[in-house]
Amino acid sequence: MRRWIKFVGLAFTTLTGLACLVIVAMLAIILGNIAINGWSILSWEFISGKPRAGMTEGGIFPAIFGTVVLVLLMTLAVIPLGVAAAIYLHEYARQGSKLVHVVRLALANLAGVPAIVFGLFGLGFFIKFVGAGMDHAFFGGALAFGQPGILWAALTLAVLTLPTVVVATEEALRAVPLSYREVAYAAGATRWQVVRHVVLPQSVAGILTGTILAVSRGAGEVAPIMFTGAAYYLPYLPKKLNDQFMELGYHIYVMTTQSPDVEATKPILYATVFVLLVLTFALNFLAVLIRSRIRRRLRTA
Amino acid sequence: MSTILEVRNFSAWYGHYSALSDITLEVLDHEILGIIGPAGCGKTTFLRSLNRLNDLVPDFRVEGSIGFWGVDIYRQDVDLAALRRKLGMVFAVPVPLPGTILENLRLGSRLNNRKADAGALVEKTLRAAYLWDEVKDRLHQSAFALSGGQQQRLCLARTLMLEPDVLLLDEPCSGLDPISTAKIEEALVELKRELTIILVTNNVMQASRVADRTAFFLQGRVVEFGLTQQIFVNPKEKETYEYVSGRFG
Repeated sequence: MRRWIKFVGLAFTTLTGLACLVIVAMLAIILGNIAINGWSILSWEFISGKPRAGMTEGGIFPAIFGTVVLVLLMTLAVIPLGVAAAIYLHEYARQGSKLVHVVRLALANLAGVPAIVFGLFGLGFFIKFVGAGMDHAFFGGALAFGQPGILWAALTLAVLTLPTVVVATEEALRAVPLSYREVAYAAGATRWQVVRHVVLPQSVAGILTGTILAVSRGAGEVAPIMFTGAAYYLPYLPKKLNDQFMELGYHIYVMTTQSPDVEATKPILYATVFVLLVLTFALNFLAVLIRSRIRRRLRTA
Repeated sequence: MSTILEVRNFSAWYGHYSALSDITLEVLDHEILGIIGPAGCGKTTFLRSLNRLNDLVPDFRVEGSIGFWGVDIYRQDVDLAALRRKLGMVFAVPVPLPGTILENLRLGSRLNNRKADAGALVEKTLRAAYLWDEVKDRLHQSAFALSGGQQQRLCLARTLMLEPDVLLLDEPCSGLDPISTAKIEEALVELKRELTIILVTNNVMQASRVADRTAFFLQGRVVEFGLTQQIFVNPKEKETYEYVSGRFG
């Protein structure tokens, strides 16, 4: 009997340990495979050039540029909205009220909606409804915003990322001790002043970190931008908010499924995935950097 | 002496839990009022009702009235921010905010968009809190670098920077060493000349040392209220006698 218990214990330790090993192995395989196959293709021409010969040759600069602009626009849209919503939920709304309950339920469900549905939502709402409405109102019915464009793609991604930003921000707000708020109230602060002078300065590191992580997650999504602005191939860079654009994730999808010559595209595909991963990791690294810097500043202040 | 705070038939509840029932007492200008009683007797709730800080607690409800210079502070049109500056509070645990000592002291002026206070007020309040000599050379250092006792005196100075009429102290010396405690007590006795102090304390002897009058709270009621000497030497109620002589609590 004792030996049996010992055996079970050992087996359990081994199995749980193996589960952890699998996680590390997965990442190592993905990264290793991509780095090995992609590294040799990487060059300045690849980074700065345009795709050529039906994407079997040339570079990916339009896609990199499009991705960066897309992520910036989406960040500009999602941070104010998400942070404001989180502040309202955590600092203003009466906890346990019906409204808070409904908003939280909506957020949880919004987070569970498949990305492709967001894509269709973007097409239906932003392009067909808002965009077409704008064309009708401001452009005399001429086609300007009632078509896929980088603004609509960014807004669609913003909606997709919104729940994560709200949850991350709330987490950061929750980390500010109640006693700090009480001190400020007792010193004659209004609710807005408590938020402005105590809560936000204390939580900005957490908000930034959480938000950047959410944004970097959303940056790799392809489905929401397929119908809302990403282009198969464009010889020029987007200059206006309603221009279409190339994007790394979508470019990868296109090269994988639509290439006229799959074998010739393969090395470029590897290198493109490599660049996308590097960009994503760079964002994550930036988040960690900001967090540790602000933490250090607060400690020594 | 004139009455600064007049509490009339004041009761308070947290949801269905009755925390204070039918409190009636008045606080005189320039006195130190000690409030003693065992844990959970409602003394902190009472203190936090005086600057309406308990309004932050969901489901907190009151009845009766508290007059401050003759005006009921529970009236709808009371400016809470102004009220809380007039009745400054120091909490049981020292809560310096992240930032320098000076930034902590200027919390109030920052909130009121006043220009940074003159150095004279900073020095005056730090002296009043018996902290000046210890921090005068490091006003620009983090408040977290101070010891617990120094932090609590900084919190006292920070509250004094608001130039309140009444100082509400919620067990300000719990967790402090005897020397820090003595410094705070000295400071309070000095401060009495300028303002009114309500001191909630777990330490019965502290009340006997510094309070002019003392109220003994038990289960949300005032059991006995009178001159400190009378409460400690010749209490009228049996419960008061048992509490101040250390039989329970």
